[in-house]
Amino acid sequence: MGYFEVQGLCKSFGGLKAVDNLTFSVEEKEIFAIIGPNGAGKSTLFNCINGLYKPERGSIKFRGKELIGMRSDQIANYGIARTFQNIELFSHMTTLDNIMLGRHKAMKSSVFSVMGLSFKKSKAAKEELVHRRKVEEIIDFLELESYRMQYVANLPYGKQKLVELGRALALEPDILLLDEPAAGLTQEEKDEMIFWIRDIRKLLGITVIFIEHNMQMVKKISDRILAINFGKKLTEGLPAEVLDHPEVIRAYLGEVVD
Amino acid sequence: MRDLKTNYFEDLQLFDNRVQVFWATVLLLGLFALPFMVKSYYLTIVNLMAVNVIVALGLNLLVGNTGQISLGHAGFVALGAYTTVFLLKMGVPILIAMAMSGVVAGLFGVLLGIPSLKLEGPYLAIATLAFGLAVTIILGRVDALGGRMGISVPKINLQWTGLKYDTSLYYFIIIITIIAVIITRNILKSRIGRAFQSIRDSDIAASAIGVNLTKYKLYSFAISAAFAGVAGSLWALYLGFINPTLFTFILSITFLAVVVLGGLGFVAGSVMGAVVMTFLNLQLENVVDIPILGSIVMKFSEMFMMPDGVSNVSWVFTGLILILVVIFEPLGLYGIWLRVKIYWKRWPF
Amino acid sequence: MIVQLLISSLVIGSIYALLALAMSITYKASEVPNFAQGEMAMVSTFITFVLLSTYNFPFYAAILGSIIFAFILGVLLEFVFLRRAKNPNPLSYIIITIGFQLMLYGLAAWKWGSEQQQINLPFSESKVIYQNDAFAVTELNLATIVIALIVLFIVYLLIQKTKLGLAMKACQQNVNAAKMNGISANFIMLVSFGISSVVGAIAGILIAPIITLDPSMMWDPLLKGFAAAVLGGMKSLWGVVLGGFLLGIIENFFGFYISIEFKSVVAFLIIVIVLYFRPSGIFDKHYVRKV
Repeated sequence: MGYFEVQGLCKSFGGLKAVDNLTFSVEEKEIFAIIGPNGAGKSTLFNCINGLYKPERGSIKFRGKELIGMRSDQIANYGIARTFQNIELFSHMTTLDNIMLGRHKAMKSSVFSVMGLSFKKSKAAKEELVHRRKVEEIIDFLELESYRMQYVANLPYGKQKLVELGRALALEPDILLLDEPAAGLTQEEKDEMIFWIRDIRKLLGITVIFIEHNMQMVKKISDRILAINFGKKLTEGLPAEVLDHPEVIRAYLGEVVD
Repeated sequence: MRDLKTNYFEDLQLFDNRVQVFWATVLLLGLFALPFMVKSYYLTIVNLMAVNVIVALGLNLLVGNTGQISLGHAGFVALGAYTTVFLLKMGVPILIAMAMSGVVAGLFGVLLGIPSLKLEGPYLAIATLAFGLAVTIILGRVDALGGRMGISVPKINLQWTGLKYDTSLYYFIIIITIIAVIITRNILKSRIGRAFQSIRDSDIAASAIGVNLTKYKLYSFAISAAFAGVAGSLWALYLGFINPTLFTFILSITFLAVVVLGGLGFVAGSVMGAVVMTFLNLQLENVVDIPILGSIVMKFSEMFMMPDGVSNVSWVFTGLILILVVIFEPLGLYGIWLRVKIYWKRWPF
Repeated sequence: MIVQLLISSLVIGSIYALLALAMSITYKASEVPNFAQGEMAMVSTFITFVLLSTYNFPFYAAILGSIIFAFILGVLLEFVFLRRAKNPNPLSYIIITIGFQLMLYGLAAWKWGSEQQQINLPFSESKVIYQNDAFAVTELNLATIVIALIVLFIVYLLIQKTKLGLAMKACQQNVNAAKMNGISANFIMLVSFGISSVVGAIAGILIAPIITLDPSMMWDPLLKGFAAAVLGGMKSLWGVVLGGFLLGIIENFFGFYISIEFKSVVAFLIIVIVLYFRPSGIFDKHYVRKV
């Protein structure tokens, strides 16, 4: 039994099969890339894993547990965190509060105990401070110190992506789903993102599954790649194999005419 | 210059710096000294402000922080008021009666929250509105609670304070209000408050990071309703007599107006909104007594309107204020205050 | 008895349907649930009254006058207030319309509030057109239903058969695409509010003989109209009309057979229950935001 397994997954919208009988598995601490042209069903796949969509058929198993049928928040608490293609931050909150929200489930204070938050001796305050320290570690790790108290809506795009990454990391997940982490970044920021994703695996021991169009990045950091088109698997394997696979090239560039 | 923070707890404590502590103390002393300085009529105005503050705190938590709308808060206030009257008549002590008012209203909040989980915008608005109307109509039919004629509120035992009834009631209301302000502020600074705001900003991302939407929306409805219930309890106490027609749809709208005027999502906004709106409403109902403005309005009335309908000017102004706030200052009075504060921050130090 | 109940249901239902339609037109155009709709109708009805009784206008001229007034009032709300909103979001729109509602209510109560007024339409409540053992139809009953149906039909033609209606639909689907095709979205918005206000005003004039004419006359009908719109699904024009008639029937039958006292409550309870199962009303699809 694998670490993370997707088996025969199907999800359609009306007549359109967005994900069609998809099967793959990811090993622990792997960096796993999912590629495919626009509309191939990559984000739909993430939304299924993450519990936003209910697939019609198939199974998604993580450490032997079936994820289909669980709510998004239960899946998050079971150890799967994600980022979104078009950044879903809490825009009227500060960077700090956004990342603190990643600690939400780890914190246990009840509605009644938080009423005493302003007293130093209260349990709620003590807990808040413990988790604040954890969040400050993440802020240090992602070099977001100077943005700590700023509203995220005012941050530059690249920094917003980092805050979203930080928020996902604050969950201390086992698996991190990144939906196009490099999209919209400058070349310099892209290079930094590569460095961070590697560190997330190396230092934090987190399995990373990511969707990306930037083939350089995919080639550089992924251990294995899954290529899909029209919701179906084209091929799966090591970067060199997959990126040179004729089906993949055809999916991206169209038919080669001699 | 700002006081530099040296540890993380300083982000949690009530006051950021000594200037704030100073002004809070001044305010507290002022509130304490008030009964010895003014007539009891003015105490009832402060009481009304305080009650509105409590409702606004709860409503702002729901509307401003969680992003849900309620046009039925008068219903929760009514539930709180009637629960207190009922329990007081049974001989239950006021503190327990007041707490029960909060609990009863809170439970109804959950009850209303359940069908509202999937609703947004106008659909949620109409569901809450329906709830508010239903509560008053049903309360008006319960003869044990006085029916449409209303019911008198027993006086509570405050003789042990050794002060006049009005004065001790005033202190009681003020203390509860201050506690309510601190509780709200703490809830909003905590994981619970952050969860509320995450739902407001993006429910999808909130659930993706492990916030249980159902649970926290219901929490928000419950807390918000409980505050309204407690406020209703206090309102009943100082009115001395309540009837169902007090708790109309227009009252619900006035509460919403208070929150918008003050500043959506800010505790200080709820306080400012309630104080200013209460004051304005009282002034405008007797607009003729205001110097200059009163005579202008009266003149205008005689020329174009009906002089005996002049008290309705307060509606016109309330409406106009709401519109102007939304158009020019979406952060409300709190937004204006923030700007003033930049100039004022260290005054008089 | 059932037939008689059905008739009164249709009468009140047609008024609810008009109000619901009025709310739906603006909601489709701008996502604004217009809480001022009732007060706009009330003021327009008072204008009819003033034109009739103070200035002795002939009936049809008075109606025409208040229709023009209602149109201007709708345009005013959109152009002067809603369009100026900073960072517009559904809540700020709701607040603006509530503010406008309070202003209109205050002005009307200031001007006309102290006296009970009676509006004289040329259709009489006491003149019976048809009668048998089971039921009777008065002239007013018939006129209300017929006028409401005519207005509904005109709105149908306007939206389905004219270029204006096509442009309105285009703006609802995708404002930016509509703009790129040369449609002035601002103009469409103005017209939508104007038309909606006129439809509401006609409902006000029709209901005035049934209830008394005073500044709070539209509170209850508006809530019912709003409820009907929600019941049908705010974005489905024909859904809300059906919702209006449905609500009229439910209300009247419940009032007669079960309890007249809880007549208003039951309408709202049904709506809450319907919304629980169909969060966007009976006739509208529920959309979930995509990420």
